[in-house]
Amino acid sequence: MESISRISSMLETARDLTLEAARDASYIRKTSTRPLPAAQLKKLLDSRTERDVLEGLRKVITMDYRNQPTLPFFTSVIKNIASPSLEVKKLVYIYLLHHAEAEPDTALLSINTIQKSLADSNPQVRALALRVMSGIRVPVISQIVSLGIKKGAGDMSPYVRRAAALAVPKCYALDPSTLPQLLEYLATLLGDKQYFVVGAAVAAFLEVCPDRMDLIHPHYRSLIRKLVDMDEWGQLATLRLMMVYARKCFPRRTRRVKKTVISSTTNKPATKSTKGFYDSESDSSDSSFSQSYEEIQILDPDLELLLKSASPLLQSRNSAVVIAVARCYLYLGTPTHLDAAIGPLISLLRSAADIQHIALYNIVQVCLARPQPFVNHYTHFLVRSTDAPHIWRLKLELLTLIFPHAPPRLQSLILAELSHFSRSSGSQDPGLVREAVRAIGRCAQSSATSPRTSARCLRLLLAHIGSADAHLVAESLEVIRHLIQRDPDAHRTTVVRLAKHLDAATSAQARASIIWLVGEFAGVDPANNIAADVLRILAKGFADEAEAAKLQIVLLAAKVYVHYLNANPPSDPPQVQPKASPSLLDGLDDDSGFRDAEVPQRKEPEKKETHPIPALYHYILLLTRYDTSYDLRDRARVYRALLATPSSTQLASLLLLAPKPVPQTPSPSEARKGYTLGSASLVVGDEGGVGGLRGYSDLPPWVAEGQEPDARLRDEAVGSSREYEPMASRSQTASERLDSAVSAVPTSAYSRSPAGDTVLAPKKASANGVKEKSLDDWLAEDEESGETETESEEEESTEEEETESEEESEEDGEGDRLVKS
Amino acid sequence: MSAIEALYIFDEHNATILEHVYRGRPPTASVLLPLYLSHPSPQPSLIYLPNTHPPALVYSIIQDRLLFLSPSSTESEPLLVLEFLHRVADALEDFLGPPLLASKIESSYDVVAQLLSEMCDGGLVSNTEPNALRDVVEAPNWVKGLLGGVGLPSSSPSLNPSSQTPFSLPRPSLPRAPSAAAASPVPWRRANVRHTSNELYVDIVETLSITLAPSGRPLSALAFGTVAFTAKVSGVPDLILQLNASGGILNTISLPVFHPCVRLGRWKEKPGELSFVPPDGRFVLAGYEADLLGGDHLSSFTTSSTSKSLANLNLPATADVRVSLGPTGADFEVRLSISPRFQNKPSGSSSSSSARGGIGSRSASAFSATGTTAHPHIEDVKVHIPLPAAVRTIADLRASRGDAQYAPGDAGIEWRVAAKDVAALLASHHGGNTNASATLRGSVVGEDEEEEETAPSVSLEAGSRWEYDEDESGSYQTSSAEPVQQRNGNDKGEAEQRNKRRVALNKVLMPSSATVSFSVKGWLASGIRVETLMVDVKRSKGLGAGVTPYKGVKYLTVSKRGVEARC
Repeated sequence: MESISRISSMLETARDLTLEAARDASYIRKTSTRPLPAAQLKKLLDSRTERDVLEGLRKVITMDYRNQPTLPFFTSVIKNIASPSLEVKKLVYIYLLHHAEAEPDTALLSINTIQKSLADSNPQVRALALRVMSGIRVPVISQIVSLGIKKGAGDMSPYVRRAAALAVPKCYALDPSTLPQLLEYLATLLGDKQYFVVGAAVAAFLEVCPDRMDLIHPHYRSLIRKLVDMDEWGQLATLRLMMVYARKCFPRRTRRVKKTVISSTTNKPATKSTKGFYDSESDSSDSSFSQSYEEIQILDPDLELLLKSASPLLQSRNSAVVIAVARCYLYLGTPTHLDAAIGPLISLLRSAADIQHIALYNIVQVCLARPQPFVNHYTHFLVRSTDAPHIWRLKLELLTLIFPHAPPRLQSLILAELSHFSRSSGSQDPGLVREAVRAIGRCAQSSATSPRTSARCLRLLLAHIGSADAHLVAESLEVIRHLIQRDPDAHRTTVVRLAKHLDAATSAQARASIIWLVGEFAGVDPANNIAADVLRILAKGFADEAEAAKLQIVLLAAKVYVHYLNANPPSDPPQVQPKASPSLLDGLDDDSGFRDAEVPQRKEPEKKETHPIPALYHYILLLTRYDTSYDLRDRARVYRALLATPSSTQLASLLLLAPKPVPQTPSPSEARKGYTLGSASLVVGDEGGVGGLRGYSDLPPWVAEGQEPDARLRDEAVGSSREYEPMASRSQTASERLDSAVSAVPTSAYSRSPAGDTVLAPKKASANGVKEKSLDDWLAEDEESGETETESEEEESTEEEETESEEESEEDGEGDRLVKS
Repeated sequence: MSAIEALYIFDEHNATILEHVYRGRPPTASVLLPLYLSHPSPQPSLIYLPNTHPPALVYSIIQDRLLFLSPSSTESEPLLVLEFLHRVADALEDFLGPPLLASKIESSYDVVAQLLSEMCDGGLVSNTEPNALRDVVEAPNWVKGLLGGVGLPSSSPSLNPSSQTPFSLPRPSLPRAPSAAAASPVPWRRANVRHTSNELYVDIVETLSITLAPSGRPLSALAFGTVAFTAKVSGVPDLILQLNASGGILNTISLPVFHPCVRLGRWKEKPGELSFVPPDGRFVLAGYEADLLGGDHLSSFTTSSTSKSLANLNLPATADVRVSLGPTGADFEVRLSISPRFQNKPSGSSSSSSARGGIGSRSASAFSATGTTAHPHIEDVKVHIPLPAAVRTIADLRASRGDAQYAPGDAGIEWRVAAKDVAALLASHHGGNTNASATLRGSVVGEDEEEEETAPSVSLEAGSRWEYDEDESGSYQTSSAEPVQQRNGNDKGEAEQRNKRRVALNKVLMPSSATVSFSVKGWLASGIRVETLMVDVKRSKGLGAGVTPYKGVKYLTVSKRGVEARC
């Protein structure tokens, strides 16, 4: 979504004029920033009137931002920290945060006052105090900060609790040894009923101890439920956490479905073993998720809950949230989930150019995994003349990625589009031309491309060979070469056509490529051999060729000669042998060049008049002897030595006619495929170091079946957290919910443990959950959890309850309505 | 993990106007800026700098010519940082008044400092909602004066502890709990909003992105719409905005995105109906896009109805480029066509209520008639023709209307057609339904004209001489002498051949596209219109009885080089 300031700029026509005026004015502005004399400023700060102090503080802050020294005023400023005025306080705090490190001792004097503010009646003051205290980078106060956080975590105002959550990573950075206490506070904060607080708590958790998944279990479901209501930044943190959590806690289960023909059980765990471990869970998934019959992957109910709760976030105005949801769907969900995210991903392309750029990287990444749904959105990928290079590069890639999946009409449209950009008429960037040609090549290579389309690609490329733009020609031929090498048999006629293009091609590089191709593929089939003929024509103009082409002509000559020798082994070895050995010698001996050069020429008309190929070969060799290029002469010498003995061509064949490896031209982003969606490493690629940028960590693999933590750890019956949300678990079916609502026998199975015991509580729960359970046990347990639900519901304000259950019914449908009615 | 390390703001002369460090010791602004600028323009929004110590990522956005940079030493979520930068820009503009100027930031560093420390706490983004920021940071006094005191809270700290659950708002799609607290129950709306004059404005802006193939057939035609909303209403109003379009709202718009205040459930139930409690002030309510070609245009693509589909688009202005004209192929012509429907009428007629050309006549009389809806008119018509780098200059640049600007070395020609020229053009045009058109002609002059005349000719001739089917009698020795003979014998055809050659050479110098920019007030390309805007009296609170806010609707279609004609 466009930001409001960008939209405003469109609505206000006068804006541009204002900006112009400001730019002109800014030259003058620079000179007029004169600081107040120090004495006067000090007087202001020491003044008794709040107004003067405020004025002085403003001046100091301004000086700060202008990089003027303000340390002389440190004490004068800090003195005002006890001021009753919130305005003054805020400015002093800002100053303190900037300079505490420079003056740790004086800063420490202020701690006492800040601590007092922690008990202020105004929550805003309390929150501010907590924020500033934790922000002062003086390690000695870590214990005081920790205490402050503890106090803040139990505060009545959610605003203060959030400040406490945000202070946790700062305190950890100050002194890592406070970790055990911090974890305690975090456990409390993660269970907060305010999504406002929880979002910050999750962010803090990710900073401090991202691996302590045991802290998350009891809050998993409540976190997921609060996801929709959190602010965008909380959603981002939670989605990031949940992705790792899901990978570590929900084993990837698969099931053979009716559809699959080939049994996919060989590398995936069979359904039986799944049931053995988790019988009750998988039972419920059997019954309630009928769509699993369509798919291979079976989702854990809790994972399903996550994926479902994330879906409203796809409409978020924050592009990062949309990407985060797409990431969840890509790495955790099923293709159906992912398809729902495609549209929102595309809608990111409407945003500002900077966001569009990053979004395109992510779209390419998703497209590599699942190209089909993107086909319908192709209009967004058409390159516009106003696109920056980093944008069109990705757009072209997207076009080629969807190409194999596009209907024929769209395919031809894409090809027309690509050929438009590959035609180097005018204002296009040479880079764009090159990229477009490569894109055509990728389109032609894709396995789904029909032969007709492939032929059209080739035609498009061949049309470029006559172009005046050397880069374009070279690039086209490069791509053509790849195409031919992939399937030489199908492209015999192409090579012939290329040879014809030699007439028109002017660029040396292009001629060299064509000649190489002729040598490589035209000589294979003796019945249809044009190589010798091409050589003949080329030999005539040898002197006028550029060096690159000459090199290839010599190579061509050698290849043609080898083919000839292989096809017609010399009938009389003794006759040829003596003639060959001197030529071998003269290859080694440079001084005798003139004499030797004349030998073959004179001999040829006599003996080899029967066949022109050896004659041509020797003629070319002769010409190269007098070339100015060292490289060319050296090459010629090598070939001469190799082919010195017409009867033994094995080594020469091995060297010259070896099959070349088929070149692979993957999509450019294929190299980044390993990076997680939404990460900076994905954008930077391997440039940032193999394995990603500093701090990048790959997604954890799916936890192995049987290694995952017990699902019941996530049951909300764990009463340890002070404020957990009363909510029945969603994995229950409608009838179970009904049962638990009807039978309201109070059994306090889970006694409430004191706050801070959270870490231990899950273990207790897991201890009594190991044994096999019968259906009755399962139902009984549901009653318990339903029980605790109603019990604690009474504690909550009615408003809260109303809200939550309403919300649930909206998402969960039938089951809740049954309970309510 | 995904922390904001610092924020730097530079003015249009790349002078540092703000440095704010959130955590750690990131590279300073003076270190970062040259590295950023050394990257070839236009700089992407994320640049990796391996040469700083430690290697850093730089995120950047440009807003109102101010450059916002944020360095990051570790892996982070790029979009998180970029969104944050946009929010900072929004918040600064909100507090300092639009447009965002360097001088404004410099004159109120105290407010900026408060904002920045509220928005991000120790590197973690904390509070970016403009209304929530208004609660904790006071706008500078002079802005308050500018705003006329509207909408500022009577007491700034609204978070009094007595309120039960200040931030637990019900999901928007649910009936509000009866015991709403006095303090702001909605995180995006300030508490205790009071306005003397209650006003609601809806501004729908559509940005066009249209690509026309050389044949004139549209390849893609998208309109990206944004619904900007300005709410200056006391209390906690609950609003319903009904959008409609002639072809049904769902068929017209796709991929909507909403502000968190919009009740998604309601939209799904009744498409086109936006039910929400607005934040105070100005915000973006929703974004959407409209495919102007309709969904199935691909199937009609191969049919020959080229001109028809363009007419269906009903564009206010299009361009058409023809290149390689003239004897040497050095000339080009750009024709700009303006639809007579968007004629700029004298303002007196604007109050007439007759709707022309199928543009939505508004049903609700409560709206202030913006007038221009009945007579949309086109403004700021500009055609931009990018030129290849090899073009040295343009000779004989003539525009039949307006003013074409080009200086040797420019990347393109800019052709402005001022409002009076458009009016004159349309007035002189009597052709009913056809478009009025103006033309721009010019001829390109490439680099090193003289050299090109001789140098490539050799290779070209050599090229044409290669004959695959040449008879075999030609012996090796004679072939080397051949070019000389041929060249001598070829004199008479030289002139024609040179021209041909020139055409080929000039082809490389031709522009390949032209883009048209314009803005049309009172018209939306997608045909969307605001049906009604109602205050749900039952749900709203704090709005005095019988108070009916003043409502205004504005439509604007903008093309910022958005209509692109290829050739």
